[in-house]
Amino acid sequence: MSVLIEKSGLNRRQFLKGAGLLTATVVISGLLAKFGIKAFARSTAYIGQRAAGVYSLDEAMTIRRSHQNPEVLQLYQEFLSPGEVKPLSERAHHLLHTRYGSDIPALIADLKIHALHAA
Amino acid sequence: MPVASNAKIIEISAECKACDHCSAICPTGAISGVLGQQHTIDAAHCVNCGQCLINCPFQAIHDLSRLDAVQAALADPRRYVVVQAAPAVRVALGEEFGLPPGANVKGQMFAALRSLKFDQIYDTEFAADLTILEEGTELIERILHSRGPLPQFTSCCPAWIKYAEDRYPRLLPHISTAKSPQQMFGAVAKTYAAQKLQVDPAQMVVVSIMPCTAKKYECARPEMIASGYQDVDIVLTTRELATLIKQSGIDFLGLPDQAADKLIGSSTGAATIFGVTGGVMEAALRTAYEVLSGEQLEKVEFRSVRGLAPVREAIVEIPVKALGKKVPVKVCIVTGLKYVDPVVLDVLAGRSPYHFIEVMNCPGGCINGGGQPIRRDF
Repeated sequence: MSVLIEKSGLNRRQFLKGAGLLTATVVISGLLAKFGIKAFARSTAYIGQRAAGVYSLDEAMTIRRSHQNPEVLQLYQEFLSPGEVKPLSERAHHLLHTRYGSDIPALIADLKIHALHAA
Repeated sequence: MPVASNAKIIEISAECKACDHCSAICPTGAISGVLGQQHTIDAAHCVNCGQCLINCPFQAIHDLSRLDAVQAALADPRRYVVVQAAPAVRVALGEEFGLPPGANVKGQMFAALRSLKFDQIYDTEFAADLTILEEGTELIERILHSRGPLPQFTSCCPAWIKYAEDRYPRLLPHISTAKSPQQMFGAVAKTYAAQKLQVDPAQMVVVSIMPCTAKKYECARPEMIASGYQDVDIVLTTRELATLIKQSGIDFLGLPDQAADKLIGSSTGAATIFGVTGGVMEAALRTAYEVLSGEQLEKVEFRSVRGLAPVREAIVEIPVKALGKKVPVKVCIVTGLKYVDPVVLDVLAGRSPYHFIEVMNCPGGCINGGGQPIRRDF
């Protein structure tokens, strides 16, 4: 192979050394990852810092309970359960609840019928 | 405008160095490829969480960008573009502008959204409070009136929902039927808010800013049309919002603090903590305790449900006025989908001691979601 004998190229020994090092790096880092030794793992300190940020925002809020959110109460009073605050009302059920897995085609059919009636 | 629900949200590009780190990270075993070979994602098992993306040492994994769609909507004068931003965004967005993790940029975030010319700037936290009222009432109904099986699982995390649907169809009756805050917001925006604002919901575009890539999948689910339209049209990640702000030449750090718009923009501290593991549980406990006992909590913090351990449990004694006795409510929190199987198997075997179980796909909760700023600090 000409690449190995040209003066400007690599000799056989250098080529094998380079290829060997490359292979070893890939295999070793991969094995470390496989066995849970985190060669590429980042520091996870940022997760705790972001969590602390969330908790200090909570502490800074004047209202800290969901059932005291004035606009949520207004949404029930005016729209979801007119005249009262009643979670799970019929309208709340239609807009705010869903179904899962094999129940979804029937839900879609219900929603389309509802949309026709509303139109 | 809608993305087909089978669209691939997360993809591995040709920049893949085949290091195999992503397949160790993936919570569902959806990534295949051996060491030294370009890896691929099996869309059927992928829950779109983006943990592979934020952990890839070579940044070779990308999520489906929706920036063009948002820019087109903002540029179209016929469109009325409403935006919501999730709790976890405001403690991480600053990192894209050189601030440390956890820095509070809530005020600048709302100001930036206003500079970007969204027609109304609202808050997903409003819908998180709404979620607590619906999901908390559902839980009380299950516990006190046996309406539905126990334990009840949370339903806010779209990666968890897809995983449960794929792997555990028998578990589905245990999952709260309450939609996630993102989807509740969309359904309320295109009905109640559209009426109040006198806007044609057909012309309204609901955009979400989310710490999450799975929310892109969730908004395109075919049943998310309760308003008569696709409830949430476009999801941008925290990273995409940062790109949008930078492209628009906005001096983010120089912005004054602003608040969300009124109507469906108010929030509480209970909604803010949705962004961290255990937060939905704590918010639900604050409300359940006060509603069931008729008493005001002296301290709203439930520290027993906090922490970053993947599986945590706690017992909270609630004096239930209607029963005239204390009821011990047993709760469990799972953060990291890799840890959920034993908890689920106990439930299916009928030996789970819990009433309420919170599951979030990402370790630490939404603050560490697949749409958040990528950190490479070691």
